[in-house]
Amino acid sequence: MIAPRTIRSLKRGLSRNALAKVGIAIVVVVLFVAIFAPFVAPDRPGTQNLNESRQPPIGFEKATTQEVPVKENGSVVFEDGQIVTENRTVYENSSWDHPLGTDGNGRDILSRLIYGARVSLLVGFFGTGLAMLVGVTVGLTAGYYRGKVDDVLMRSADVMLAFPSIVLAIALIGVLQDALEQSIPDPFVQTGVAPAFRSALGLPTGMPESTTLPGTIIVVVALVNWVWFARVARGEALSLREESYVKAARALGANDASIMFRHVLPNAITPILVLGTIQIAAIILLESALSFLGFSSANISWGFDIALGRQYQSTAWWISAMPGLAIVITVIGLNLVGDWLRDALDPGIEGEGGV
Amino acid sequence: MSHAGHRDDLLRVEDLTTRFYTEEGQVNAVESVSFDVRDNEILGIVGESGSGKSVTALSAIDLVDSPGKITGGEVWLRDAELAGEFRGDKPEAVDGDFVDLRQLPTGVRRALRGPKFSMIFQDPMSSFNPSLTVGEQIAEAVEVQRRASANPRSTRSRTQGYGLGKLLVDSVVPGRKYTSDESHERAIELLDQVGIPDPVERADEYPHQFSGGMLQRAMVAQALAGEPDVLFADEPTTALDVTIQAQILDLLRDIQQEQGMSVVLITHDLGVIARMCDRVGVMYAGEVVERGSLEAVFDDPTHPYTQGLLGSIPDVDDPAPRLEPIEGNVPNLLDSEMPDRCYFADRCPKAMEACLEHPEERAVEGDRRHTARCVLADDEYDPERALDESQFEGGDGE
Amino acid sequence: MSLARFLIKRLLQGVFVVWGVVTIVFGLRVIAPGDPANVLLPPDVGPEVRQQVIADLGLDQPLYVQYWEFVSGIALGVPEGLFNIATGQPVGGLGLGTSLTTGTSVASRVGRSLPATLELAIMATVVAVVIAIPLGVISATNRYSVPDYGATLFSLAGISTPNFWLGVMLIIVLAVQLDLFPTSQRAIGIPGVVDLLVSGQLVAAAEGFRTWLWYITLPAITLGTYFTALITRLTRSGMLDELGKTYVRASRAKGLPDALVRYKHVLRNTLIPIITVVGLQLGTLIGGAVITEFVFDWPGLGQVLINSINSRDWPMVQGSLIVIAVGFVVVNIVVDTLYTLVNPRVGFD
Repeated sequence: MIAPRTIRSLKRGLSRNALAKVGIAIVVVVLFVAIFAPFVAPDRPGTQNLNESRQPPIGFEKATTQEVPVKENGSVVFEDGQIVTENRTVYENSSWDHPLGTDGNGRDILSRLIYGARVSLLVGFFGTGLAMLVGVTVGLTAGYYRGKVDDVLMRSADVMLAFPSIVLAIALIGVLQDALEQSIPDPFVQTGVAPAFRSALGLPTGMPESTTLPGTIIVVVALVNWVWFARVARGEALSLREESYVKAARALGANDASIMFRHVLPNAITPILVLGTIQIAAIILLESALSFLGFSSANISWGFDIALGRQYQSTAWWISAMPGLAIVITVIGLNLVGDWLRDALDPGIEGEGGV
Repeated sequence: MSHAGHRDDLLRVEDLTTRFYTEEGQVNAVESVSFDVRDNEILGIVGESGSGKSVTALSAIDLVDSPGKITGGEVWLRDAELAGEFRGDKPEAVDGDFVDLRQLPTGVRRALRGPKFSMIFQDPMSSFNPSLTVGEQIAEAVEVQRRASANPRSTRSRTQGYGLGKLLVDSVVPGRKYTSDESHERAIELLDQVGIPDPVERADEYPHQFSGGMLQRAMVAQALAGEPDVLFADEPTTALDVTIQAQILDLLRDIQQEQGMSVVLITHDLGVIARMCDRVGVMYAGEVVERGSLEAVFDDPTHPYTQGLLGSIPDVDDPAPRLEPIEGNVPNLLDSEMPDRCYFADRCPKAMEACLEHPEERAVEGDRRHTARCVLADDEYDPERALDESQFEGGDGE
Repeated sequence: MSLARFLIKRLLQGVFVVWGVVTIVFGLRVIAPGDPANVLLPPDVGPEVRQQVIADLGLDQPLYVQYWEFVSGIALGVPEGLFNIATGQPVGGLGLGTSLTTGTSVASRVGRSLPATLELAIMATVVAVVIAIPLGVISATNRYSVPDYGATLFSLAGISTPNFWLGVMLIIVLAVQLDLFPTSQRAIGIPGVVDLLVSGQLVAAAEGFRTWLWYITLPAITLGTYFTALITRLTRSGMLDELGKTYVRASRAKGLPDALVRYKHVLRNTLIPIITVVGLQLGTLIGGAVITEFVFDWPGLGQVLINSINSRDWPMVQGSLIVIAVGFVVVNIVVDTLYTLVNPRVGFD
């Protein structure tokens, strides 16, 4: 399916484009930590520890003087109806146990980022996959049959584009609510491999036994983004149906479905895959926005954690900052890979989508 | 530096060298090229595509863009006024009435495009800005010269005092434009002069509303706006229908004679050269391999490449034309792959041992008007001294 | 084709899209799992009220009747026979119906929040265009220079940064830590400033305008950054593309100064296709506005949409969806017309 010529032009693009290497490295690292989260996370992402609440990241420890109430036997002291206060130096210590600090409930931010990567990537890949499936089917059908079928399908696609993706997504979530939520067990934890690994290294054990699969979000982002795939697939089908091997297959009496999926699709795959890379980035951004707005059921997610950090915006900036950086870095990585594929393979599509 | 030129010389290009620094490596597009253009003549430059003809012309008028760069050579233009101006400051750039443009400041060189040099290109459709009317585009070329004669100094500044601010004002404020009504009238005159019917209406049309031949005429009109002394015409007929080609060539010849200007006609078509030119230069692999008067070069070709080229055109007078296409390919001009020997040796039917050394340009049989970059200029082919392929070593990147 | 015919054709297409939008919005209640009333009603209503709403909304009717009522209600503005939950009294709704939580007209609520969203979107576009086009030009004309690398890096980061996070960070750094801007809300809108101006209170109007600017700065940056990055990128690549064309060389050969070639010819031709891309991306801008409004507590359409989803005020959801989509359709028609007007290569066909 991938011609040697394609591989050569990919390699040439890579050797010319140092940024593409950076992009691939980012994507590989993010994929790795997401898959092997129970091994690489330094701590349990969901376990609260209020004694360690709001620890700053390494490098940001500081001592501040704050006015705090004087306490005797655990209760505040009043004098003339006023609370007695004193100036005390408050240390905000960081520790290597929590290299990126802790959130308002004392949970390790790095571990939450690692588990958050799972949700982002699950939605990114499954959402893109579903959008691709729907979009390519519709697009191929429209481009292959042309005429009325094409008109009806593509005009409906145009109507979908009249809604900003986030707006349509919110409305769909309002309708579907959390009807499609799933929880998938974590094989590494279930089989006992990860717990054994962790206790051998002396890391905290008790990692989550399952990961939330936000089914509603996946379906919603696919319903919102399939149109881009439909447009590209239709364009390819329109030009490929005139190719002689397609005409030959038709003359030999092959049925339409087999022509579409065995002859047309393999030759249209390059632009579709390039668009897919760009769409993963767009869908990860969309997922983070939806969970930031509180529309996702995943309780560990980059967007959700940014929202959680907002109540500490005057005291602990890192709670919101860190998950955002994780999103930015991941999306930059995906965009760089997408740029590389697009430049090297030149499928003739522009970057599309985004929040 | 002073070469004994012809008394009618207008432009003398000497050892002009242009390199392109690409990702694949250094490309020697123009390699030590010399030619001269005389008053009121048509000089032909002929060669296969990729032989460096166009880049030679672009180098002469200083229009080579990054990643290309002119790395050496001299371009002497006869201009008494400029010579007088720079005689004191830059004596080494002045020789009699001639000035070496390569030694002059960029602004001065830029200001010569229009009144001294102009150029027309192969594809008229892509050589006009598709979103402005043809009249407007010709008028702006007129306008530049009008403003230059009003204020000669300003033309040498980078923007000619016409920067973003003025541009914005001119495009946003109604009734304000860069071009004046006089320039528009002159543009219409020029369109008329190159034989475009209804020039008043056509001036307000966009390039896509013109046919290829009409648009090429309009490009000639545009090139004439500055009343240039030398017009470079880069494959002016290649993109056109055969019937239109002849009309455009006739137009160029008429205009050349009317204006008394010189034309450098670049083409791969020997028939065009034979029909139009007074003198001709043959290019191969970035070099001028043979030059001289049309008769000398065509009737008595010395370089085996020229002989091969001429052999490949059907002869109208000969009922059984000999077609002798030259075997092999034009070198890709990558510096790393260019051999030390004569560039043509690998394809040459008459390569001799002496060809292992890169030949200089030399007079053919002592005639200074006819030169060739070939040992055969003053030697005879001798099969005894023939070069066999085993003697090629390295350098051709195999 | 004449401009008038072009507009009529484009408007008819627009009407078709709007009909599609209305159909999709109607379709949302059909795809709801279980009893659609669950989606359409706030969870805390009593059974009698629930029955009455179902009857009033026609949810017990066949789908095609419901659909007809819905479409004709919007098109003709006939009362939908909704009622006010607070008072229990039926109220005649306008085309978009009546809010289930406040009993007020959806159309007027949406109408009141429209200026805030428009102000935000327009400011963001202005910020984006003013920054991005010069940045793209500098970047393209000084290729491989420090400013070029800077602009390229900025645009890569800009299109990869979620705007809500950017907003949160701007609040933390510029509003909370440095106290340069307010953290949220909109103290006064342009309509308020205009009112002051009309009533002759010039000092108050100037002060109001300053306040407006002070409040809108961070939201506009938040919303505009993605757009700025995108337009910078497009301007740079478009200009590089255009600079390589033969007409640029021909213009220089005929003696035009570089600045004239660069701006009158190249930049102009670069901007023409950018207009369409910007038009297509306006959907992204409106979507971004929804989130930006949430971050900054900005009282626009996005807030209305999110709040009404959260409180399951379905008529309000429908109303804001339709207004947003129709707005997008209208903007696209305007952009298309503009594109056709500035580009002589495409006729009105």
